[in-house]
Amino acid sequence: MKAAAKVVQNANGHKRFKSVRTRLVGMTRKPAVAPEETLKAGTAEEPVTPAPVIEKTPSVGEKRQVSFVQLLVFELRVRDAMTSPPITATATDSLRSIQHLMKAHRISGVPILANDVLVGIISIEDIINALDGGHINESAEQWMCRKIVTLRDHFSLVRAVAEFDRHGYGRFPVLDANNRLVGVITRGDITICLMHQLERRAEEAVAKEATLVATRAADEKAHRIVVNTDVKSGDFESAGKLSQRIREVLRARGVAPEIVRRAAIIAYEAETNIIIHSLGGRINTSIDAIKVRIKATDRGPGIENVDLAMQEGWSTAGPLARELGFGAGMGLPNIKRCADEFVIQSELGGGTRLQAAVFLQKAETRL
Amino acid sequence: MKLKSASKLPALLTCVEARPLTDLAEVELRGCYISDLLSDVLANAQPGVLWVTIHVHRNVVSVASMKDITAVLFTCGRKPEPDIIAEAAEKGIMLLSTTLTTYETAGKLWKAGLR
Repeated sequence: MKAAAKVVQNANGHKRFKSVRTRLVGMTRKPAVAPEETLKAGTAEEPVTPAPVIEKTPSVGEKRQVSFVQLLVFELRVRDAMTSPPITATATDSLRSIQHLMKAHRISGVPILANDVLVGIISIEDIINALDGGHINESAEQWMCRKIVTLRDHFSLVRAVAEFDRHGYGRFPVLDANNRLVGVITRGDITICLMHQLERRAEEAVAKEATLVATRAADEKAHRIVVNTDVKSGDFESAGKLSQRIREVLRARGVAPEIVRRAAIIAYEAETNIIIHSLGGRINTSIDAIKVRIKATDRGPGIENVDLAMQEGWSTAGPLARELGFGAGMGLPNIKRCADEFVIQSELGGGTRLQAAVFLQKAETRL
Repeated sequence: MKLKSASKLPALLTCVEARPLTDLAEVELRGCYISDLLSDVLANAQPGVLWVTIHVHRNVVSVASMKDITAVLFTCGRKPEPDIIAEAAEKGIMLLSTTLTTYETAGKLWKAGLR
């Protein structure tokens, strides 16, 4: 009856394990222990154990997410989490001395060795019973538990967890391939190991993110082009050179023609505004990976009524400018229409400051 | 929308008696825009059109280039200075000149099928 149950459990466990593993491979993470290896790893001194079960609920063809902790318990081995070297006692040691050993090391179980071979284990319960029964000064071999379940140091932690669930013990002695006692593992050890791993990975992730941000910032800085142009009053011949330059840069960067055109129109209108209306000024343009910023400042005489100036068709352009086709009263409205960001400040007797920006990506595609 | 063959640039030369000022390529025009206000062209002209104007100064070339205008037709027999024509050629903008007025030009282009 017991054997039959074991077989079913095994088959189920194996099946589930495999399905989990398939996803792990899909996520390009290798499980530390292949299922075949895990099954073969059952040793002579312990009963055959079921393969690790990740989830208690059965799932057939149902999508499941493998958590980060689940990945870790596959990756990590018993040897990564166990306390090593173990605190041990010999078979001839008194229970009293073992009690002191437990107190000194704050542990609740001690493997007992005879000629360096694991022969038993004394737990805190055995000590309590000894105090109760008045045999605390007797030797360990008289009272130790001789029926020991051990784990191998190469077992995955997922298997170790399964063993804890299965046997209900507080600790397992851990043997290496040569049957030497190399450590002791408790549930607490597993928790601490996982916490350390999580912390380490979190730190790695943070460091990676910081590097990424720094690289991106450097990239953007490297991609920034600043063009500062002085604009002379009445210099109609030079108009258009700045916008030509902006178009060349943006085109070379593969920016959409419609966006290139908008940036060029802003620069051109800002430039001709300074040529037509001001005593001279300057245009600062900066182009980075995100946007084109155009800042036009002049030395006056300033705009008397900015609201009127923003009105289409309203112009104060002189006869020469009008003769050349300027002065349509559409310059500022054109800039505003083409810009994603637009600010104008002016006062009569002072200068005019115009700031406009065009994003290099369409609104729906940028964050 | 399929354009009529008359919308091809060299074919339009005959209907408005235009003389080419730059080399002309066999291209289809996507339409026509007529304005003598540069900002109006910047605001309203579509790329790929023929622009008809009386202005012959350098800013016409700048505006045409900015709006990806295919060709500029100067009316009333006006012609830009050689260095401006050279600049247009360099920017890939075709220039033409006709002795007709803008109004006559517009009528003939419309009749020829340039819509």
